[in-house]
Amino acid sequence: MSGLIAQISTWSPTVAEFLTFSPELAWAGTLCLVMLAPLAIGRNSRTTAGLALVGLAVTAFFTVRVMGMTAADGPKTGLTPDLIGGMLIADNLSLFFKLILLIFLVGVTILWMSVSADEEEDAPEFFVLLVGSALGMALMVSTHNLLMMVVAIEFASLPSYAIVGFNKKNREAAEASLKYMIFGAISASVMLYGLSLVYGFFGTFDLAQISANVGPVLMAGGANRLLVALGLFCVFVGIAFKISAVPFHFWCPDAFQGAKTEVTTWLSVASKAAGLLLLMRIVNLFAQNAGPAAMGGVAVVIAIIAAVTCTVGNLSAYRQRSVKRMLAYSSIAHAGYMLAAAAIFVKAEFVDSFSAMSAVLAYVVVYMLMNLGAFGVVALLESKNGGDDSIGAFSGLIRRAPLLAVPMLCCLVSLVGIPPFAGFMTKWYLLNALGEANQGLYWALVVVIVFNTLISLWYYMRVVVQMFLRDDDQPAFAIPISGALLVNVCGLMLIVLMIFSNPLKSHSDQYASDLFMPTASELAKARAVDSTDDPAELGELAEPGELAAREDSRNLRGDHGG
Amino acid sequence: MDQHLISWIVFLPLIAGLVALFVPRELVKWVALLGSGATFLLSLFAISTFWGGDASGVFGDAYGTLHHVERASWITGKSFTIEYFVGLDGLSLPLFVLTTFVSLLACLASFNFDSWKINKGIKAYFFLFLMLETGMLGVFVSLDFFLFYVFWEVMLLPMYFLIGVWGGARREYAAIKFFIFTLAGSVFMLVGLVAMFFYSGNAVAEYPELATSYQTGAPLVTGTFDLIELSTNDAIQKYFSDSATTLLGLRFAPMMFIFLFIGFAIKLPCFPVHTWLPDAHVEAPTPVSMILAGVLLKMGGYGFLRLCYPIFPTGGHFWASTLAVIAVISILYGALCAMAQTDFKKLVAYSSISHMGYVLLGICVMTKTGFQGAMFQMIAHGVSSPMCFFLVGVIYDRAHHREINRFGGLWLSMPRYGSMATLGFFASLGLPGLCGFIGEVYVLLGVFEAGNSGPMFPWAYTAAICAAFGVVLTAGYVLWLIQRVYLGEVREEYKGFPEATGREMLILAPLGALCIIFGVLPKQTVFDFMNGTLNLIVDQINGVTQMALAAAGG
Repeated sequence: MSGLIAQISTWSPTVAEFLTFSPELAWAGTLCLVMLAPLAIGRNSRTTAGLALVGLAVTAFFTVRVMGMTAADGPKTGLTPDLIGGMLIADNLSLFFKLILLIFLVGVTILWMSVSADEEEDAPEFFVLLVGSALGMALMVSTHNLLMMVVAIEFASLPSYAIVGFNKKNREAAEASLKYMIFGAISASVMLYGLSLVYGFFGTFDLAQISANVGPVLMAGGANRLLVALGLFCVFVGIAFKISAVPFHFWCPDAFQGAKTEVTTWLSVASKAAGLLLLMRIVNLFAQNAGPAAMGGVAVVIAIIAAVTCTVGNLSAYRQRSVKRMLAYSSIAHAGYMLAAAAIFVKAEFVDSFSAMSAVLAYVVVYMLMNLGAFGVVALLESKNGGDDSIGAFSGLIRRAPLLAVPMLCCLVSLVGIPPFAGFMTKWYLLNALGEANQGLYWALVVVIVFNTLISLWYYMRVVVQMFLRDDDQPAFAIPISGALLVNVCGLMLIVLMIFSNPLKSHSDQYASDLFMPTASELAKARAVDSTDDPAELGELAEPGELAAREDSRNLRGDHGG
Repeated sequence: MDQHLISWIVFLPLIAGLVALFVPRELVKWVALLGSGATFLLSLFAISTFWGGDASGVFGDAYGTLHHVERASWITGKSFTIEYFVGLDGLSLPLFVLTTFVSLLACLASFNFDSWKINKGIKAYFFLFLMLETGMLGVFVSLDFFLFYVFWEVMLLPMYFLIGVWGGARREYAAIKFFIFTLAGSVFMLVGLVAMFFYSGNAVAEYPELATSYQTGAPLVTGTFDLIELSTNDAIQKYFSDSATTLLGLRFAPMMFIFLFIGFAIKLPCFPVHTWLPDAHVEAPTPVSMILAGVLLKMGGYGFLRLCYPIFPTGGHFWASTLAVIAVISILYGALCAMAQTDFKKLVAYSSISHMGYVLLGICVMTKTGFQGAMFQMIAHGVSSPMCFFLVGVIYDRAHHREINRFGGLWLSMPRYGSMATLGFFASLGLPGLCGFIGEVYVLLGVFEAGNSGPMFPWAYTAAICAAFGVVLTAGYVLWLIQRVYLGEVREEYKGFPEATGREMLILAPLGALCIIFGVLPKQTVFDFMNGTLNLIVDQINGVTQMALAAAGG
């Protein structure tokens, strides 16, 4: 580490390095634009949203451009002098996630414009917080440096606390925000504590190096093992809070119910997906570098948490009267499904984790569409009936607003996971990844997930029953075209992605396989540097032959990213 | 067009349904009729290649003969390929044609939509109706398990709404009950889907020398969804039937068999999981009841014959006695329940459970005669039960109630309708010369045959005798029903009832004619088309069972 600090005085990023991280820079530029432009052109809601959209479009342009770059065009890690354990990573996984996030952000903005823009007085602040939390989430997925990870998580969390309570005149929103913040602060401090333990032991923030050295420590047992395991577990708790995995989920229903529905839409997908992909990246790294023997217990822990999370989420959703709260519990359940994929990483062969990563990527894309559609309908309905999101408010929706009822049906049935909607396809990819792992633990997860589908049917169908089968003569209403278009596109895309699922699958496959992973030789080099100026006791290092074998296996699967 | 015949038939209803959404309200039903009519006519073309039997194989030793095969890759993942693989063989052809036929008549039966109690949303009704038809046809032609599952699930939503929106007073309850029961079966099947795929992958890795694919002649290297491959590949069969193969600590073949069985048994439906059926039938509008009884119930039996038995013959052996008990209970319990009903439609619904019990009984002994009888019973019931439900519907449209004890003497006030009703109910009863008879006799013969064949089924005679007693019960409730509803003095309140209309006769006449034709010429009309396939399946099953028994004994 001291070596790194010594380099800083002589280091400055090259143009290529800047280019690789142009999406982040454009993103930050958007943030500034939205914050400063009102000083010049006034605080108009729609103008602000328009500016944000322009900024996001530019960011998306840069993201796509960087995605097309090869290793020769620029480094995959960077913005620090340490090329192996760079602070940020620009592999295709993170770029793909950024793109999804940007598309989702555009969707949320359109939703916001059609339901809240007219009465919102503080649009610039709202967008600063929204775009800021998005940037934080993008950074979360682009790092395997512990310090950067904490900064990114906080960067994502702080604006999130604020936008949950953004509706200042609403007591529930304030309560939700406070709850969210208290839980968030505690889990952040737990994570920081764990980080300090890990850093204290290994003397580095770079997870690639930590993971390469952690195996022998965990295998050896004794006090060291306890210390490191505790530290890593505390880090895991911090991420599990973002994912709202049980038992770290208590903030989720309250925060989601109290916040404005656009904000709920945003958090229900983006924050969870970011946390999940961060977790998957870390677990993957550990599984690859530390080896399955040291990590075996982790698979069981993650599998149990995943199984409990989806079951608790689904069972809790049963008796909810508020559709928003019900969908909040449903989002907990879906986080559980996706978390199940993380358990696969810890199994030995790389091909399994590849399928799991690909399955989660596809799941995130479709999950974004489902939640954007479902929450979008709730938001549009609320904007017309004075904020009532109870189940009864959906009564007779097919007559009152068919353009809301039909996409809502598509989204809800897709959330259950029944053909002909894409939710089924992505659930299949997940089951496929679990089946491919082909061990008792994963088969048990298959059974748990499949039977959760059945449990979840009932509460989703309660809304469907109200929309299509009952009618208590509430008045019909017109909805803004932009909002109607948004939710219907989401519904339609769910059918399209079911029938033409192949592109989704092949893209997910491609981006999942383009994970940046430092190669064994790079790691060995890094360790050599570290051990000269770092006197920390590292225990036995992994055998060189073993590392080379792992490197070979990665080359075999045609890794064109790293 | 010719090489895509099946695809056209399967998706034509859906296309018509989409068109129906965008035409003026008055034209909707004509579009639907055109769609389902064209589908029916096209499906008759599909028969032509089956003249002269169905057993001269395109795929050589693979069971059955596949005609009109279409095969394209649909979704390719790193470790799996899901195919759009459809085709017809002797097992699916009769049910396939039955589906297009019953759908056409049910569409015609929907023509009085405007006079229904709930007559809103005619476009949505016909769209869902036609989407349902696509789902049903897709199930019968799919030869890729994944595709099969997708079509299977595609039927759920339309059926849910058809019952839930246009049904009777307790429609909401009936619809959700249908949905939950069916999905409960589907999730078992989904576990089976994942497990079978990866275990077939294990199998070809375990026995690469046996893994020769029927399709390419080269050894398989990965798992497969191909239903024909799963049931004929030696490596897969050897691995699946090996008692050392386990999943979560349970023996693979019996466990998977029962997982698939639960899914199909709910659809069939048989005894412990049948309760959704009377509810669904009573609440569903008449055309939906016709589809439900005529086609949807057949999917259970089709699933047994297509998936459970060919892929897990040893599982079939393992559970044979249990299934026979379930079948006999279904037959007797269904018949006794039917006898106790006072609601006309509920009676017909329970009689369906009883009749489907014969299907399960015929299948579970795994003899050629039993399989043929079960298949025939499905076809026969697919003709007679829509007829019965339509007969109930006709009278319900006039009387607006279904209380059997309040009817009487309807034959006198409506002679044409009365004659048709007698024909339909006698066909359902199993009167010799009508379609219901052949299936039941074949099933009973098949069970006796199993009893004769050796010590494998010691309970076969008992089961056959109990099932034969079901015939007596059936005769009891049908005759009593005819007596109470159609015979006797004309009641004052029913005197002025109009005779069956031209449209109603147009629906009843073809069904009645088929009841007679199937009863008189069973060989030429049904058996010739399917026996080749069924016999090949039974031979295949026996071969694997012998192999497994020898392995267990040695």
